[in-house]
Amino acid sequence: MNERHTILIANRGEIAIRIMEACRKLGHAFVAVYTEADRQSEHCVLAQQWGGALFRISSYLDANELFAVADASGATAVHPGYGFFAEDFRFARRAVQRTRKLQFIGPSWQVIRELGDKINTKRLARKLGVPTVPGSDRPITDDLEAEAMAESLFAFQEEVGVKRPVVLVKASAGGGGMGIEEVDDLGKFRAVLRRIKNYARRQFRDDGVLIEQRIFDFNHLEVQILADRTGKDPVHFGTRNCTVQSTGRQKRIEVAPGFAPTTLRYAFDARKVLDDITDYSLRIAREVRYDSVGTWEWIVSPTGQPFLMEVNTRIQVENGVSARIARIRGQGGVDLIAEQIRTGLGAPLGYTQKDIAFEGVAIEYRIIAEDPDNRFAPWVGRITRFAWQPQPWLSVHTHVPQDRPYEIPTDFDPNLALAIVWGKDLSEAKARGLEFLSQLELEGVSATGDPLRSNIAFLQRHTSDLLVF
Amino acid sequence: MDVKEILRRLHASPYEEISVRAPHCGVARFAILDTGARVQGPSGTWREKPGTVIVRLEREGAVRPIEAPQGGEITFVAAHKDGTFVQAGEELARIRHFLTKEEVLHRILREALHLFPAPEKGKYYFTPDVDIKIKAKGCRSLRVEEGMELFIFSRMKRETTLRYSGPAGIVYAVYFAGGDSVDAGAPLIGVCAEHELPAIEDVVARVHGEWEEEAWAAS
Amino acid sequence: MDRDRRIQELSIRLRYLQDIFLGEHNPDVELLTTRFEELCARVSDLSADEAARQIKTLEELFGFLERKLERQLSPMHKVRIVRHPQRICLKDILENVYDNYTEIGGQDEYSIDPSMLIARAYITRKRGKKTYHQPVMVIGQEKGHGQEFRNGGSVKPWGNAKALHYMKVAETEGIPIHTYIFTPGSYPIEDYPGAAQQIARNLYEMAGLKVPIVAVISEGGSGGAEAIGLADTRIMMSHGYYSVISPEGAAAIEGRLKEGERATPELIARCAEALKITADDNRAMGYVDWVIHEPELGARPEHYAFFRKLRKAVIASTDEIVLEVSNLRLFRSWALKRHRGSDVLDVYVRWSLDAAAQQRLLWRRYKKYRRMAQQAYLEERYFFKKAVTQVADALAGVYSYLRYELLGRHQKKVTELAEDVHAEMQVVMSRPARWWKRLKETLGLKPEAAAGLVALSAWDEGRGQDGWRYVSPQAKHDRAIPCPRARTNGCLDQWAPDLFGDFAGVCRFCGHHFPMEYQWYLHNVFDPGSITEFFADVESTNPLKFPGFDERLAEAKKKTGHKSACMTFEARIEGIPLMVAMLMAAFRGGSVGAAEGEKFIRAIERARRKQLPFLAYVHGTAGIRIQEGVNGVIQMPRCTLAVRRYIEAGGLYLVLYDTNSYAGPVASFLGCSPYQFAVRSANIGFAGRSVIKETTGMDIPPDYHNAYQALARGHIQGIWDRREIRANLLQSLKTMGGPKLASR
Repeated sequence: MNERHTILIANRGEIAIRIMEACRKLGHAFVAVYTEADRQSEHCVLAQQWGGALFRISSYLDANELFAVADASGATAVHPGYGFFAEDFRFARRAVQRTRKLQFIGPSWQVIRELGDKINTKRLARKLGVPTVPGSDRPITDDLEAEAMAESLFAFQEEVGVKRPVVLVKASAGGGGMGIEEVDDLGKFRAVLRRIKNYARRQFRDDGVLIEQRIFDFNHLEVQILADRTGKDPVHFGTRNCTVQSTGRQKRIEVAPGFAPTTLRYAFDARKVLDDITDYSLRIAREVRYDSVGTWEWIVSPTGQPFLMEVNTRIQVENGVSARIARIRGQGGVDLIAEQIRTGLGAPLGYTQKDIAFEGVAIEYRIIAEDPDNRFAPWVGRITRFAWQPQPWLSVHTHVPQDRPYEIPTDFDPNLALAIVWGKDLSEAKARGLEFLSQLELEGVSATGDPLRSNIAFLQRHTSDLLVF
Repeated sequence: MDVKEILRRLHASPYEEISVRAPHCGVARFAILDTGARVQGPSGTWREKPGTVIVRLEREGAVRPIEAPQGGEITFVAAHKDGTFVQAGEELARIRHFLTKEEVLHRILREALHLFPAPEKGKYYFTPDVDIKIKAKGCRSLRVEEGMELFIFSRMKRETTLRYSGPAGIVYAVYFAGGDSVDAGAPLIGVCAEHELPAIEDVVARVHGEWEEEAWAAS
Repeated sequence: MDRDRRIQELSIRLRYLQDIFLGEHNPDVELLTTRFEELCARVSDLSADEAARQIKTLEELFGFLERKLERQLSPMHKVRIVRHPQRICLKDILENVYDNYTEIGGQDEYSIDPSMLIARAYITRKRGKKTYHQPVMVIGQEKGHGQEFRNGGSVKPWGNAKALHYMKVAETEGIPIHTYIFTPGSYPIEDYPGAAQQIARNLYEMAGLKVPIVAVISEGGSGGAEAIGLADTRIMMSHGYYSVISPEGAAAIEGRLKEGERATPELIARCAEALKITADDNRAMGYVDWVIHEPELGARPEHYAFFRKLRKAVIASTDEIVLEVSNLRLFRSWALKRHRGSDVLDVYVRWSLDAAAQQRLLWRRYKKYRRMAQQAYLEERYFFKKAVTQVADALAGVYSYLRYELLGRHQKKVTELAEDVHAEMQVVMSRPARWWKRLKETLGLKPEAAAGLVALSAWDEGRGQDGWRYVSPQAKHDRAIPCPRARTNGCLDQWAPDLFGDFAGVCRFCGHHFPMEYQWYLHNVFDPGSITEFFADVESTNPLKFPGFDERLAEAKKKTGHKSACMTFEARIEGIPLMVAMLMAAFRGGSVGAAEGEKFIRAIERARRKQLPFLAYVHGTAGIRIQEGVNGVIQMPRCTLAVRRYIEAGGLYLVLYDTNSYAGPVASFLGCSPYQFAVRSANIGFAGRSVIKETTGMDIPPDYHNAYQALARGHIQGIWDRREIRANLLQSLKTMGGPKLASR
């Protein structure tokens, strides 16, 4: 089992660095890639410093480049990180089906495909009795059927006491916020339906729509799952709360665990909600024989009703915040990326749910060069100073070098760093978080001489009411 | 802007060095292994015939020919990489492309004239009185200055007048024809200050008279 | 003076001979050349009598050797004869065959197309003291003895459109049409109305023209000839040629020449021989009705006797057509007999037709072409099997008549009545129903909405990303495929299993359609298991014994497992049955010969009998199969006649072009459909790039034949994504065409 692999890291920045660290820890060689725009990125420096091969490619999004580099460098496995090819079942399939095979460190391509289809996931959940957002679970093409669905959704919301019932009409082939409209009045439904169908037909050549209840004021929770290649006995690494987001629904702060029932008061049984979503998530993982790390995304309504949104079949940015509060057989320092690589290469998990315990509260801040007051507009320029006080309760993941100025590449989101703060309870974690944010030194200047804009004030402002619902 | 200086500079190195780089990773197989080889750029009425193949890059079973973007002489070729895996962006060859008269004139005028660009994509016309003047006596009879109503901008049959802004001078070149659709940012006219006119005309005449094109470079 | 004139004439005759026998060392031509030069050298020294005597001797020698050379004429010589500037042309015919005429298509170069000449002419006949002027519409290509602006008789699309216009005028006026074919081929440009599309339109309209049409062929160059050639009687001049392609064109294909290369004269001559292009060959194969003999070495303007002969021929042919279809049957046969025995100019036959005769004329025309080319394909003719098929077909016809014509109409009424009653009931019933609903609500019996909103719904649609029922063998290679449009669109290379498996051969970035095998369409367009093949026994053969073609044909059959390039089958889409003729690119480039044409006709006849929609799916066609010569070309009028008959019977004829579709088929039975669509990235055209360059000298842009260009020019009606063919066909079946379809 302990054969030495060479792992191609098909990603950049912070996650590339963390994968390199995990490879070193596990004793595997690695190959890093970079593009022209990323020449200055810390992941290139570290790759060479840590003895990995480094290849320049034309684009992180060209699979051919990655496979060509894999062959040229003798890689035996590929880690996709997050984004790019992480949830592309075709990439995963090509890795394992090509003549010179590569192990894909992530779920099997069949699992990625099955859970990558939101409609399929919703139907799977319903089949297993897992709660989903009320509404259709298949594309509706018939106008009368759509109208009947909308009508009963309004009736249902009134019945359960929703003050302002709203129905969502989505193009079933759409995604990423495109082709979605809200309807708050059944009288307007026809017109909206017609509009979305026309849009969908033009855009996706498929005029099927989904009709769902719009849930307001919800909390966004996640369940971290891990399983080995056997797909048997998946375990969970607890829950996270990712409710603090930008206007574009991008996460900014993640907290583990998902609620704090011992510290805060909730209008519902928060302990039970966390247990329920964990159980439901595991139920689906078992059903599909999930065989890697993955995240089950949930929304929880103000009355404590959870609904499954989707499954992310990849390691997530915020994996570290769950790892930070976890202990396996009493040992801290859990590294989910290393666990993903270890099990992805065929090693058995080696522990069960009973061996996993949680301690304290962790908060992850995403430090980004952006202007929260201006719809989170990205800021581009040169980082001239980036420093913080090391603390035993703090870990910072960044690809921004601290010893030299760094030009933010314009091709990617201006993420600068992830900072994870731990405390024995919520109040200690919050206090330490504020302490870190206030001491953080971050300076920069744009080409036009404007000073750097960052979301630090936004993060500080949201720290006080974390996990309050 | 000293046009004579531009011309002197162009005369000193009447060519442009074009670097041919690997657009992506792959195993390089060179079709040209010697420096001094002559290559041709794309040709044909629609530039539909690709230029001379310099190297072929094979990646994942697909072979991509890398052709010369311009005609010229190969001054460097990474022959030692023949048959090896190259990374994206590696320099594979360099071409010395000799400038044609057209290109030289174009460069000089681009540098020496003040170009007034189209602010938006649309159709442009000269205002009627300007148009008459240009048609009768040629564009160099037209003196423009800041704020002068010079163009009519037309889009979707809605017309607005457009004022000239920039240094005062003579319209030396017109880059559009009435009724053509012009892209935003493309130059409409090139203006030169009156006192520079003789110098520019002199240089243009000299380019026409003296500039020797490499026979094959123009082909 | 007489001496000079006679020498001048001899010099013209000699030059003509030298032109015809160009490039060969013909001893007779060389002898005449020597003798003529000798005579010229000494004639000034001779006395007048001696000179006259020697000239006469030489004239006799010319006459003798010309007769000898006539017997040596090869097909290639005939090609040179019809192309010679001294060859008679249409103006000569108008002057000498007709008694009076007015040119109406333009004047010399002041014409929309000077290569197409149109005239109203008349023929004067006398019976007793009475004089009759019989008007005729004369239409034909004009080569104009080498006039540059005539373009050698190569007609542009609008020239053919003009011809069609005046054919319709003739129909309105009820006068016969005489067409004269003097063309090396059509001018291959795509501008509206389109070379191919206009020929197709001409053929389709001629198939239904209710006046007699007589065609005379001198130079019958492929599609250009067909544009005015679908006639009731086809006369061919003995020194003419009628061919699927010029010998040079055939040689370019046979020799696999690249653009700019030239075939050797030997190869060209061999092709001319192999293509069986002469009048006698065409008469023997039944593609012309009779051959009119020309003077030795071909008719030239001074051969007045030939014009008289031609005059008789066209008059007699017109008479015969009229008599054969006229109403008085008894009189008809008597008149015909008498007619054949006498001088045509002494009798008078009225050339107008009544409605019944017009119908007989069209039926006669249909049958005439339907019977052609029967010897040019193979079929296992098991008598019993054939009889069974025929009976079954006849029964199907009777059934569909009963089912849809007789019963259908009544059933429709019954259905309508039932629907009315149902609607009425709903109005009556809805009031208590609403009342009941309200009552339930007040009682708190809410409908079980919640369950329907969160429970799993039934959905048995064929879902999943790999929804294609057929996976291309191209998807089985571990390699990346570059998109041909990557240069302009920046498409990344795609892995073959993704591209040809999941994406159905459609570039994920720019939508470019890579060619897919025809099997992909069979499996993914039609309902699974719904395909029933018909006429699979009709087999392509080598009717001209074209050298080396037997092997290539056998290879194609082995490779594809099909006996011809056309597969005809019945299939269903969402349960709606339709008849399909598919041209397969894998079999000899999808070229159309006698077998393919026959199958197409049988399929569309079957669709007509069973009242099914008809789809021509062109997976690719390179054109008419040149190795079959006129056996192939004749499929253009044959199939178009069948299409017309089908559409007039109320059928829906859809054409779908894929990959590359060119030349004859597009210029006839495909291009005449009112509903033509193309799969994206298809190319549609008349002639390929090199032929266009060769014949017009024009350089064409790279996307000249692209489907979008064809759409912009109005040649096709729409462009479909490959993955939506099924949905689009279904939509078409629901929204288009023929009222008499069984599916309606």
